[in-house]
Amino acid sequence: MDEQAELQEFQARIARGEKIEPGDWMPEEYRKQLIRMISQHAHSEIVGMLPEGAWITRAPTLRRKIVLLAKVQDEGGHGQYLYHAAETLGATREEMIDALLAGKAKYSSVFNYPSLTWADMGMIGWLVDGAAIMNQTMLAHCSYGPYSRAMVRICTEETFHKKQGMEQVIKYARGTPQQKAMVQDALNRWWAPSLMMFGPHDSDSPNSAQLIAWGVKTKTNDELRQEFINKMVPDLQLLGLKIPDPNLHYDETSGNWITSEIDWDEFWRVVKGDGPCNRERLAARRQAHENGAWVREALNAYAEKYEQ
Amino acid sequence: MDSQGQKYQVFEKERADLAHRNAGSVHAPDAEMALENARDVFVRRPNCLSLWVVPERAIFSKTVQELRDNAWREADAASDAPTETWLVFQKQGQTARETFVAHVGAVAACSPQQALSRALETFPNKNVFVWWVVPERVIFKSEDADAPSMFAPAHTKTYRNHLAYPVEPIMRELKSAQEMLDE
Ligand SMILES: [Fe+2]
Ligand SMILES: [Fe+2]
Ligand SMILES: [Fe+2]
Repeated sequence: MDEQAELQEFQARIARGEKIEPGDWMPEEYRKQLIRMISQHAHSEIVGMLPEGAWITRAPTLRRKIVLLAKVQDEGGHGQYLYHAAETLGATREEMIDALLAGKAKYSSVFNYPSLTWADMGMIGWLVDGAAIMNQTMLAHCSYGPYSRAMVRICTEETFHKKQGMEQVIKYARGTPQQKAMVQDALNRWWAPSLMMFGPHDSDSPNSAQLIAWGVKTKTNDELRQEFINKMVPDLQLLGLKIPDPNLHYDETSGNWITSEIDWDEFWRVVKGDGPCNRERLAARRQAHENGAWVREALNAYAEKYEQ
Repeated sequence: MDSQGQKYQVFEKERADLAHRNAGSVHAPDAEMALENARDVFVRRPNCLSLWVVPERAIFSKTVQELRDNAWREADAASDAPTETWLVFQKQGQTARETFVAHVGAVAACSPQQALSRALETFPNKNVFVWWVVPERVIFKSEDADAPSMFAPAHTKTYRNHLAYPVEPIMRELKSAQEMLDE
C-alpha cells in the first residue's frame, strides 16, 4: 500500500474506535508525538514523587505515613507503566532516563514548586492529582493501545490519591484556626500551579488539533482546565476556603467560573528550567541514579554469572 | 549510559475465571528479579493470583495488519529445532477489558512461525487484532507457594483503595446544609 492509502486506513481505524498497536502502521509524526507525550508523562510521575516523598518521615500519624508512602510508591509505578508504553514506540528506557537526568526532557511544571507544610500533602492530592485525573481519564480513551491501557490502570489508583488528599483538606478546613490557616496557605500556593498543569492556552499549543484528529486527546487544554475550575471552585468554597484570585467570578451565560489570566511568564520560566525547585529536583534524580549504579552493576554481574 | 537490564513482558491473572493477560513490562537482569519487579510494579493491589514474566525477545508477535503480508511464513521451513509447547495469546477486541493481550491456549511447534500458523488454525477467532506466541519453556511463573508472600499482603492494605476515604457523603452533607442556609 502507498502512504496515502495507509494514512486513510489509519484514520478509518481511529474513527471506528480501534486501538493502534505496536507493529501496526502509523504516521511517523503520530509516533513522535506519542513518544514526546508519554515520556514527559512518565518523567512527571517520577519527579512527582519528590515533593511528597520529602514529607514521609514527617507524617503526623502512622496512618498518614502509610497512606503517603503508598501514594508515592504508586507514582513510581505509574512512571514504570508509562516508560513501558513509550518503549513500545521504539524509545529505549536508557535514552529516556538519560534525557531526564541531562535536563533535556520536560515534565509537569507543577512539581517544581516546593511543599512547605503538611497541609500541602492534602492540597497536592486534591488539586494536583485531581487535575491529573481529568487529563488521564481522557487519555484512557486514547487511540494508542499501550498508552490507553496504562491510563486505565493509573486512573483507578489516582482516585485513591485524590480522595486521601480531599480527606485531609476537609479535616483541616474544619479544624482549629491554625489548621484552617495552614490549609488556606496551601491553597494559596498550589492553586495557580495546578491550573498551569493543563498546559498553555489552546492558541499556544500547536499540536492540539492534530492530536485530537488522531484520537490521542478528545479535549483541548483550555476545555479541561475550565472543567477542573468549575468542579473545584464550589467544592473549595463549600469548605470555607478562599480561592486566591481577586477576579474570580461566575459567568451566568456560560455557566463557567472565570479566573484571572494565568501568569504565562512564570509558566514558561518554570517549564524552561527556572522554577523554584527545578535544580533541586534534577539533582535529587541524578543522585538517586548515581547511588543506584553499584546495585545495577552487581545485579547484572550476578545475572551474567548464572546465565553461563 | 548504563543498562537497565533485559526487558520482560508481564502477565497477570486477576481472577480464577480470567486468563493471564499482559499488564506491561519491566526491566531486570534475570527472570527471577523480573518477577519480583513485576510484583512491585503491577501488584500493589489485591487482584492477583499468578504472575508470569517472559523475556521480550522470546515473543513472536504479529498484528492482524502485519499478517496480511505472508513473508513471515517463509522462514518456517528451515527449522530443525525440537518440537515443544508454545503458549498462544490474543487481543480479542477493542473495549476496555478486551484490549489486553490474553492467554488463550497452546500449540506444539518447532519454530515461532510454525507456532503462529498452528495458532491461526487452532484458535480461528474472527475478532483477533494481535497474536503473540511464546515457548512455554522461557516463561517464568510465580508458584502457588509464593502467593502468601507475593500477593496476600496486599489484601490488608485497604488504605490503597479509594473506598477507604468516604469524602463524597461529607461534601454532600455540607452542600445540603449550605442550601438550607441559602433558602
Ligand atoms: Fe500523576
Ligand atoms: Fe500518578
Ligand atoms: Fe497520583
